[in-house]
Amino acid sequence: MIGFIVKRVLQAVFVVLAVTLLVSYAVRLTGDPAVMLSQGAGSVTEQDLQNIRAGLGLDRPFAVQYLSYMGGLLHGDFGRSFAGGTSVGRLIGDALPATLMLAFVSLALSILISVPLGIRAAVHKGKASDQAIRILSLVGLSFPNFWLALMLVLLLSITFPLLPPSGWDGPISLVMPALTMAIILSATNVRLVRTTMLETLSAQYIMVARSKGLKERVVLYKHALRNCAIPLITYMGLQFGGLIGGIVVIEKVFNWPGMGTLAFDAIASRDYPVLQGAVTVLALVIVVVNLLVDIAYGIVDPRIRTR
Amino acid sequence: MYSLKKTAAALSAALALGVLPVAGAQAAGTLTVAITQDAGSWDPIDTFVTWWGSVGSNIYDGLTMRGADMKLQPALATSWEFLDNNARIRFKLREGVKFHDGEPFDANAVKFTFDRLLGQEGAKGPQRSNYTSIDKVEVVDAHTVDFFMKRPDPVLLTKLAGYGAMIVPPKYIQEKGDAYFNEHPVGTGPFKFVDYKPKVSLTLARNDDYWGGKPKLDQVVYRFIAEPATQVAELQAGRVDIATVIPLNLVATIDKSANAHVVSTSGPVTIVVRFDTAHGITAKPEVRRALTMAVDRDAIIKQLLMGKAKPIASFQGDLSFGYDPALKPFPFNPAEAKKLLAAAGVKPGESIQLDVRGSDSQFREVAQAMAAYMQAVGVKVTIKPYETPVLINDIIPQGKTGAMWQNQWGGWTYDYDNTAYLMYHTGEKWNPYDKDAKLDAMLESQRNTYDVEERRKTLRAVAAYVADQALDLPMYALDTVVGVNKRVKDADIPGDIRFRFVNTSVE
Repeated sequence: MIGFIVKRVLQAVFVVLAVTLLVSYAVRLTGDPAVMLSQGAGSVTEQDLQNIRAGLGLDRPFAVQYLSYMGGLLHGDFGRSFAGGTSVGRLIGDALPATLMLAFVSLALSILISVPLGIRAAVHKGKASDQAIRILSLVGLSFPNFWLALMLVLLLSITFPLLPPSGWDGPISLVMPALTMAIILSATNVRLVRTTMLETLSAQYIMVARSKGLKERVVLYKHALRNCAIPLITYMGLQFGGLIGGIVVIEKVFNWPGMGTLAFDAIASRDYPVLQGAVTVLALVIVVVNLLVDIAYGIVDPRIRTR
Repeated sequence: MYSLKKTAAALSAALALGVLPVAGAQAAGTLTVAITQDAGSWDPIDTFVTWWGSVGSNIYDGLTMRGADMKLQPALATSWEFLDNNARIRFKLREGVKFHDGEPFDANAVKFTFDRLLGQEGAKGPQRSNYTSIDKVEVVDAHTVDFFMKRPDPVLLTKLAGYGAMIVPPKYIQEKGDAYFNEHPVGTGPFKFVDYKPKVSLTLARNDDYWGGKPKLDQVVYRFIAEPATQVAELQAGRVDIATVIPLNLVATIDKSANAHVVSTSGPVTIVVRFDTAHGITAKPEVRRALTMAVDRDAIIKQLLMGKAKPIASFQGDLSFGYDPALKPFPFNPAEAKKLLAAAGVKPGESIQLDVRGSDSQFREVAQAMAAYMQAVGVKVTIKPYETPVLINDIIPQGKTGAMWQNQWGGWTYDYDNTAYLMYHTGEKWNPYDKDAKLDAMLESQRNTYDVEERRKTLRAVAAYVADQALDLPMYALDTVVGVNKRVKDADIPGDIRFRFVNTSVE
């Protein structure tokens, strides 16, 4: 088991290193921040641009820039934003909790929505309620998250002014972005719950439980659901990467002060240090979550370790 | 199903709770403004983000300033005179002005500001390039300074009204350092800094000692909201008082709403389609004239831009110095266009490419309409979207464009010189194709004189020459369109959105 964990951790470290290298190199292909910074600044000469590049440390070879960035990372220093010089560590420190909170609340909300619906569909397989839930999930799958978010704002902030349309005004601001993400996630999760539940319900121990005369609710929630939980949790762990990706878009619409907004703005202004920092941290979060899922799986199912 | 009911109950409880915080979001005496971007630093020399000006003009003053009508007027300088055959400009400074931290404003502060801008600290940022015509600034007495010029700069007085030339406090910066100053700005303006949350908001409070009179508002809060649709939603929900980016298709919605309306005014942003004047069919001036005549710009403005733009005959709007009301755009005349194309030997069905900024959904519609108009005179247009920085950094300067490309310019100095020189002078980054000695000479001559009438004459001649050669297809000058809550009184909306809320109040 120890060997398995060490191997997985080393793999994770390698992935994060590769991400930092790839991102640092890729952002430098996307255009010159000096030009972006001086856009519209009147008659900018080549000398002015060179001064700006030197001021930002961009006149050094890529290898030197990368190594100095990694050297900083080892001391927990992400560098400073090109736009104004705010510490990237501070920007990420403000943004990461907001994103993680949104991710976990969305995930929790989606479980609250999809588990009861999925079970109901499985129990009433082929009947009207099963059909209705399946159609509903298909509709949910077909919504672009961006559009759904705007529709919710229109409904819940403008037509019925119940919720703040954007920003952070305390926990109430969580409701709409989390609901949007949860609806998107639930569309897939309902189908997953339904399928695993159907498999479980045909298992022998369920028949045994029923034949003992247990109430249907106890059979469903005590016996069947517990056995469904393992594939569900695994799947949701894997879903986490996609979840973070979706949140980037949702953050944009709701002006959510998180990592997505940070990265988006950094791309627009070619703010290399902020973009590098944000992508590295997001990669780290996804890698750690996947690592935990892997390890947990390894503990639960010994056959996995040998693969 | 029991848990389903429980989930629904939890959700509706959450929704019910939401009613409380949303009502009463607007505090009395506080004006909330949504702007698109956080400039990241509030030091005047660090940035060229236009949105910096929306905030900075309330914190800082320059030696000169522009009113909401865009006219230049005295600010921290009360008067100025040109000496030594225009090689020296002497400014008389306003007396009794204090920075927000109590430090007195004097000639020393002006010298410090420009030494810093033109020295090492300024070299790291984009602002310095605007002020390199200044050789040095010398203190004459506590309330008089002399600017020694390296070369004449007719646009200097305008530049002193904004951005890098805003006057900063010497003692404060020397004691606290530049990094601290970035996030805790101090100026002489009508509002003083209270709080800054990067990427979220910036809060200012009234400066009771403001030399231009005590502002009426208690506070101004800027919120950074990038998504235009989100800005509009916040405006409709009554949580921001001024939304600065309004998608034109939402103008009617806002005007119909109970609590907000749209204010529009002539803006600095102009849009043209430039031609590859070196290759292909657009190398011929008559083809370029024909293509210009083929497009019905009035219809495009009315149908696609909801009338929130004005047709132009040169690459400038009506507020710009050098604008000539007598210069009329080529009329819409497809029949004449067809004749010109035939005479130039262009066969019907000839295909050309128009490069556009991919992120600009508004212009994408305009480009499609243009393509349809050009198709009608027998020229097939393919529209090629690029990511904006790629188009600006790689495609245009290296002369890799199609026969036509979208060019947008927002000259903040409101002086045609800035646009025309960068667009048409040989060797400039924005001018990959043209080499025209006559045009170069005209552009250079107006840069070397302070004679206003002579400059006006030359700049108008440049505009007429460019129009005659059809170096570009002038499309329109966009209005600045802002959404304002009806509770806001006396909000001047300057076209360049460099707000000064001295007289503004909220109910």
